[in-house]
Amino acid sequence: MTSAERRWQGLLFVAPFLLLYLLILIYPLLRGLWLSLYQVDLFGGGTFVGLANYARLAADPVFGQSLINTFLVTLMIVPLLTVVALALALALNRATRSAAILRGVFFSSAVLSVTIVTLIWRFILAPDAGLLGELWTALGREPLPFLSAPNLVLPALAMTTIWWSVGFPMLLFLAGLQQIPQDMYEAAALDRASKWTTFWRVTLPSLRRTTILVVMLQTAAQLQIFGQSQLLTAGGPSGASRTAVLFLFETAFGRWELGYASAAAEILFLIILAVTLTQYMLTGRVRAGEDGR
Amino acid sequence: MPGLQLRNIRKAFKGTEVLAGVDLDVAPREFIAFLGPSGSGKSTLLRIVAGLETSDEGEVILDDRRIDTLPPGDRGVAMVFQHYALYPHMTVRENMAFGLKNARVPRAEIDGLVTDAARTLEIEELLDRKPAQMSGGQRQRVAIGRAIVKKPRLFLLDEPLSNLDAALRLRTRVELAQLRQRVDAGVIMVTHDQAEAMTLADRIVVFNDRRIQQVAPPMEIYSRPANSFVARFVGSPAMTIIPARLADGGAFASVLLGNGTRLDTQVPTDGLPGSGAVEIGMRPEGVRVCGQGQGTTDAEVQLVERLGERSLVYARLDDGAAITAEDAGTTSAKVGDRVGLSIDGAAAHLFGPDGTGYHRAAA
Amino acid sequence: MAASRSDDRLPPLVWAALLTAAALMVAPLVWTLLLSLKSNAELVGNSGAALGGPYTLENYGAIFGNSSTMRWLLNSAIVSLGTTAGVLVLASLAGYGFARLDFPFRRSLFVLVLLGLAIPSQAVILPQHQLFATLGLHNSYPGLILPGLIGPFGVFFMTQYMRAIPKELDEAAMLDGASRFTIFWRVILPLTIPAQSTLAVFTFLGSWNDYWWPLISATRSDMYTLTVGLAASQMNYAQTSGLGFLMAQAVFASIPIFIVYIIFQKQIVRAMAGAALK
Repeated sequence: MTSAERRWQGLLFVAPFLLLYLLILIYPLLRGLWLSLYQVDLFGGGTFVGLANYARLAADPVFGQSLINTFLVTLMIVPLLTVVALALALALNRATRSAAILRGVFFSSAVLSVTIVTLIWRFILAPDAGLLGELWTALGREPLPFLSAPNLVLPALAMTTIWWSVGFPMLLFLAGLQQIPQDMYEAAALDRASKWTTFWRVTLPSLRRTTILVVMLQTAAQLQIFGQSQLLTAGGPSGASRTAVLFLFETAFGRWELGYASAAAEILFLIILAVTLTQYMLTGRVRAGEDGR
Repeated sequence: MPGLQLRNIRKAFKGTEVLAGVDLDVAPREFIAFLGPSGSGKSTLLRIVAGLETSDEGEVILDDRRIDTLPPGDRGVAMVFQHYALYPHMTVRENMAFGLKNARVPRAEIDGLVTDAARTLEIEELLDRKPAQMSGGQRQRVAIGRAIVKKPRLFLLDEPLSNLDAALRLRTRVELAQLRQRVDAGVIMVTHDQAEAMTLADRIVVFNDRRIQQVAPPMEIYSRPANSFVARFVGSPAMTIIPARLADGGAFASVLLGNGTRLDTQVPTDGLPGSGAVEIGMRPEGVRVCGQGQGTTDAEVQLVERLGERSLVYARLDDGAAITAEDAGTTSAKVGDRVGLSIDGAAAHLFGPDGTGYHRAAA
Repeated sequence: MAASRSDDRLPPLVWAALLTAAALMVAPLVWTLLLSLKSNAELVGNSGAALGGPYTLENYGAIFGNSSTMRWLLNSAIVSLGTTAGVLVLASLAGYGFARLDFPFRRSLFVLVLLGLAIPSQAVILPQHQLFATLGLHNSYPGLILPGLIGPFGVFFMTQYMRAIPKELDEAAMLDGASRFTIFWRVILPLTIPAQSTLAVFTFLGSWNDYWWPLISATRSDMYTLTVGLAASQMNYAQTSGLGFLMAQAVFASIPIFIVYIIFQKQIVRAMAGAALK
């Protein structure tokens, strides 16, 4: 075997993945871009319409509302989730048995699928058959209509999501805390820093990267929120909880407006891409990926 | 021609040349040490022989067969790596058998070969252990065992002792010396440790700056360095080399040091470069400390290193030239003292403007 | 997990807050479990009945008699195990190539794969749906498995892990006459078992819980996975046998995942530590 042949051998190892990757991810990505410039429905009939789909999106109040809903719910979830996860990590970063059990408890919901989570929460939030409803009634009050009042439905989705997702960021923070060198605390103690000062000056700055990672990952994830909205409320009442991905789903697989849905998908893609690239830039992951060897 | 021949090996990494046309002949069963500072190209040359790097130009011939076009496993060479590179998930037995299995040696034969090699190296009781369960010295032996079980025509050792602590290194050095008596193959060892090279090798190849500087038996490298680089690199402490001017003389050269001291050497005048400016090299054992005014010249003591059986005195001549001298272990010289230095001109070496070494006529 | 300051005790107030939070965390799970243990008739119009006895296992019995739930369980198992096996094979091969071999365009291709981390599955769902329709793969196991194999995370993860293995091992194996594939299979792969198990757990969890793709690709109820099946059940809540049965389904569907979680807790935590380092 010549050295030139040996040089190409590496390509054989990456080829199986790469071919599937190109076929199932990259090709659809480009095809979606192309589709978004056409008017296509289930029965074919692709007519080139340029940016008309995007113009229509910009003027579509339903799409606009779904974007606003998505941003709102993301804004309700991410800061609270981050703070709660950090607080839990700080409290549970110790080697005791009870801390280990509690870590398990707080992570347990994260392994459930979205359908199980919504199933559980439907019968907590529903005023007529839910746990909260029962509690409210027991206290002699009128149950809150979480899933049918326009101003309560997004907080209800946020609450469900926080309960579901708190485990992963907590584990990320715990891992981040483990990375802080012990001697930094010893140095701080020698400098007679109070617990509070140590927290603000040592712990928190050391968690900067982890915090960025958590915030960006969660933002990207929550901008794609779908199952909670589809399963708990079907986007209702009257679109008050319709998220961007639910809009995409309904347009594509309910009304089969493929070109229009593709344009919505591209908008969503750009938003997520911006978030992910921001995260890469802030944490230097692209560099970490590129150097090596 | 049996043995190993390297012909005009050139290699560059991304435009930076690391080997500039190297030629070398190694006799069958010869033990060769590649000695040189890091980055001198010695490791690259070893890896080219092994087939882990491809040379840009040149040929590698082993026992009349051109091997530089063959994959590493087909070249008839075996290598002991610096960090041993034992397969961590395999037992010692599996480590040693791996190469034979790849060569499709029958199972029964593999068992015999592994057992034999293990007996030679006295590692039979380790055969079912994994690398993580062994000491550094034991791993070293297994790495050697993995090489000899293949009965190669040439062993390549890449800094084989550099990972061992000082005591173990000395013992393993002795073992390596014994081992080579038992194997019917040549050995090339890369090292930056000159003691290792001096004690083990039949011939030393000194590398610097992409080129071979000298190929010679250890004592010749020490006593007749081809140039000032070799002279400085080999020997500890390093040879003192200071500027001097050729003075009028007879058959043997005489020089004047920077402070005017005249020194008569035994270097034949024939063949010396015409111009007057040269460098003179003196090993510390050729420069003794004596009373002020009683030696060849006087100097001021800068530093005294007491080594027990002897002391090294680092001194400075009036013109600022630094010179290393030897004295008894019980020396009374102190920093700042003015002492006399008795220089043995007969043991001195001369180096021309291009660095070429000139020595006393061979005995 | 070694704590940084295990010696100091938590203040009582913090303890109280922690326990309250833990109670809030567990309450929905307990509520679900209780509902699943009640007869459906008792719960009609009065889910509060779940807070008191009598409890029964009749809903769980009904699941085992319910052929569609068992079918969904089987589908989920096939799809998750198939995806996990596929990801391990593809990611290991590609990781080895990217981490340890040099070939033309290696760097650019790796960046292309990294960029995939930024492509949300929603952005490509329509063309993917069309593609699989063209290939006739909807409502089939390959159709459910294939999109799970192209996640760039596995490749990224294996590449990082394999980079850390000393290069000398490959070289020793080359001198031992091993082919590239033998080196991969006999020398490098056995050393990546910790990474393989971590990746396996994550892929399995992700695949078992995936809702988005099977929702779109599996339109026939006999090809539903448990996740999609449960969604269908809850949307047709009115037509099903009742609240208790529904909750029993939820508990039943989460049992495999909890078992995996409990067995592989260590891998999950280790992977988190890795992610935080990156």
